Amino acid sequence: MEKYTLIVTEKPNAAQRIAKALDSQGTPEKVEEDGVPYFLAHRDQKLVVVPALGHLYTVVHERGRRNYYPVFNFKWAPRYSAERRAKQTRTWIEVISRLASNAENFIAACDYDLEGSLIGYCLLKYACGDKEGVAKRMKFSTLTKNELEKAYEEPLSSLNFALIEAGRTRHEVDWLYGVNLSRALTLAAKRWSGRYATLSTGRVQGPTLKFLVGREKEIRSFVPTPYWSIRSEVKIKSSVYEVEYETKTFEKKANADAVVEACKGKTGEIETIEVRKLRQKPPIPFDLGKLQTEAYSLFRYTPRRTSGIAQRLYLEALISYPRTSSQKLPPTIDYRAILKKLKKKTVYKKLASDLLRKDELKPVEGKKEDPAHPAIYPTGNMPERELSEPEKRVWDLVVRRFMAVFGEPAIKQSMKASIVVNGHRFYLRGRRVLKEGWTRFYKPYIRAEEVLLPTIKDGQKVSMKQVMREDKFTKPPPRYNPSSLLQKMEEEGIGTKATRADIIETLYSRGYVAEERIVTTDLGFDIADVLSKYCPRVTSVKFTRELEEKMERIQTNSEDRVNVLVEAVSQLKPVLEELKEKEQAIGQVLSQAIKRARMQERLIGNCPDCKTGKLMILYSRKTRKRFIGCTNYFKDICTTSFPLPQKGTAKPAQKNCKGCEWPLVFVRMRGRRPWMLCFNPKCPLKEERRKRNEMQSLQKGN
Amino acid sequence: MKCKVCKRETESKYCELHDKAYRNIVKEYDVWKKASDVSWKEYLSAIAKNSYTGLWAKEVAEHLMKSGEK
Repeated sequence: MEKYTLIVTEKPNAAQRIAKALDSQGTPEKVEEDGVPYFLAHRDQKLVVVPALGHLYTVVHERGRRNYYPVFNFKWAPRYSAERRAKQTRTWIEVISRLASNAENFIAACDYDLEGSLIGYCLLKYACGDKEGVAKRMKFSTLTKNELEKAYEEPLSSLNFALIEAGRTRHEVDWLYGVNLSRALTLAAKRWSGRYATLSTGRVQGPTLKFLVGREKEIRSFVPTPYWSIRSEVKIKSSVYEVEYETKTFEKKANADAVVEACKGKTGEIETIEVRKLRQKPPIPFDLGKLQTEAYSLFRYTPRRTSGIAQRLYLEALISYPRTSSQKLPPTIDYRAILKKLKKKTVYKKLASDLLRKDELKPVEGKKEDPAHPAIYPTGNMPERELSEPEKRVWDLVVRRFMAVFGEPAIKQSMKASIVVNGHRFYLRGRRVLKEGWTRFYKPYIRAEEVLLPTIKDGQKVSMKQVMREDKFTKPPPRYNPSSLLQKMEEEGIGTKATRADIIETLYSRGYVAEERIVTTDLGFDIADVLSKYCPRVTSVKFTRELEEKMERIQTNSEDRVNVLVEAVSQLKPVLEELKEKEQAIGQVLSQAIKRARMQERLIGNCPDCKTGKLMILYSRKTRKRFIGCTNYFKDICTTSFPLPQKGTAKPAQKNCKGCEWPLVFVRMRGRRPWMLCFNPKCPLKEERRKRNEMQSLQKGN
Repeated sequence: MKCKVCKRETESKYCELHDKAYRNIVKEYDVWKKASDVSWKEYLSAIAKNSYTGLWAKEVAEHLMKSGEK
């Protein structure tokens, strides 16, 4: 049999793109074995490019049952042996092993980061039979033909073992913390109540929940205080302009009233006019965090969604590798070549051409660096398929940001006129753009508006159009949203760029938090309380950050993997001992919290009839059928009840009906579009619908 | 002993959460009094109605209004 080089990749899309780039004809043959695709390409020799499905191996408990802790003995094993939902990984591993048995050379072509390096290593070591020592490594930041060919022609002579060690350690430490702490919480609740509910926490999840609980406590115990301000307008020629009073806020109402009294209906005089020029530097290139923040603020995409879209654009070779912390664009990416390619698209033609006319292209850069990848940039390739609307938006954002970093500073003029009215001073402010600079590249995403002022001069008289007191209150601190929480995690140095968005999603899926402007649920409060009370070290940001830093040092060979693991276990052991000792008390708190959370999930609103009970989704003791009933139903006090569909799921929608203001129920059924159900039989909207239907059937009859 | 607002087990009048809200209410009264010379009752009624007041602070204010405690 003809020998070949086996190239292992992270995902099927990447395998296809790599095979296409490396095949001398650009037409690799796709083969499918037991549902696993791989690609045959011909270059200087035969190449077989086979994808993984992300991680095919994971950390598992070496031996023993699932329902006890502490567990410190682990090993790496195929994912199918540990996760019920990962059955298909067995076939993938079998196919890769078969392909490896006839291969002569091995190349890892997974993403060049912690996760990618670890995926490649596990495939070569376990599926290919200890080939990690002989394999070469392709290093690339985009999936473009040129870069892939270069990465193949000039591969690294070995895998990056420091990166692999760092990745392994992170998975192992996260497993030790996640498995032990989650089991401690789940088992404590189960042993106390006899009922099972999955409760989880982890090394990063705990401190993140702590931020949210801290903010929620501030908001819920907030007491506003009153203050006052002056709202005022002046008339200049025939136009009215808003002016601001020299003192922005008053702590006493009487002081604000005195200003209104003194200035109302009076004429003022322009005393001074200050004109200033401001230079606004271009923005820095996107790292993943900055891209996620910008996409949230512009399009309201959650960090996880943006990360998913960016990953798809990378796999389509439209942008560079997105999971980067770099804010730098090295000249080796060839700015001009990218701009020349972007010129082909009509909307970018003029902008790219203008940049290409510059003698020197020098990007503005941020401070952060990433040894593996540059900042996110467009490859210049045009989409080969119709992109979805979100993909188009993120791609456009990356393209425009890339062009903007090469732009000139924008020059703005600000004007501040000081107006004196009866001894009181007001300011009239205006601003306008003198030179667009970089903002013309980034125009759709810039929100600052110009305030143009009329021609005015010192000594000019102006009349006060309006002077009034505004009553205001101090506001509680804002809630975190997925984007600001991600920024907070980044600032505090917990989690990695690849995991932060997923950790936020886990907090939602566990029911610890809810809503876009994040509200901590009662269950979230209780979990955070238990952790802070019994194992404060686990929720300590400082401790988590220190561990992160140590794990990062493994990447540069300045820390040893075993030391980090030993330290993690030595920190964890006493925590678990204490949790075990206090299991009963913890179990009681958590069981009650779960019970409350489950009640909350079924609670619809107040009973409209008896007024003392609550409407809930209940189950008949006889038939086990579900219905909406009053909590006084089983006490024989109130018989209010309403039917519910028996199939699918039904839960409170947390919204009221527009027709009758009764709470709505959200029903989801297989094969049907989910809908909001108003269970009020006398809802005016239902009556309207009934009449409309009757009219229609009468018309049909005629 | 149980918290006077939420009936959680506690060692003092209020649980840890409602105690924080109570302390805020007492602390901010001085600011309100200086600003617009309101009485304690008027103050409690104003913060109980204010949309910026936190849930726990509202619960404590309502409890204080009902019970007449200071």
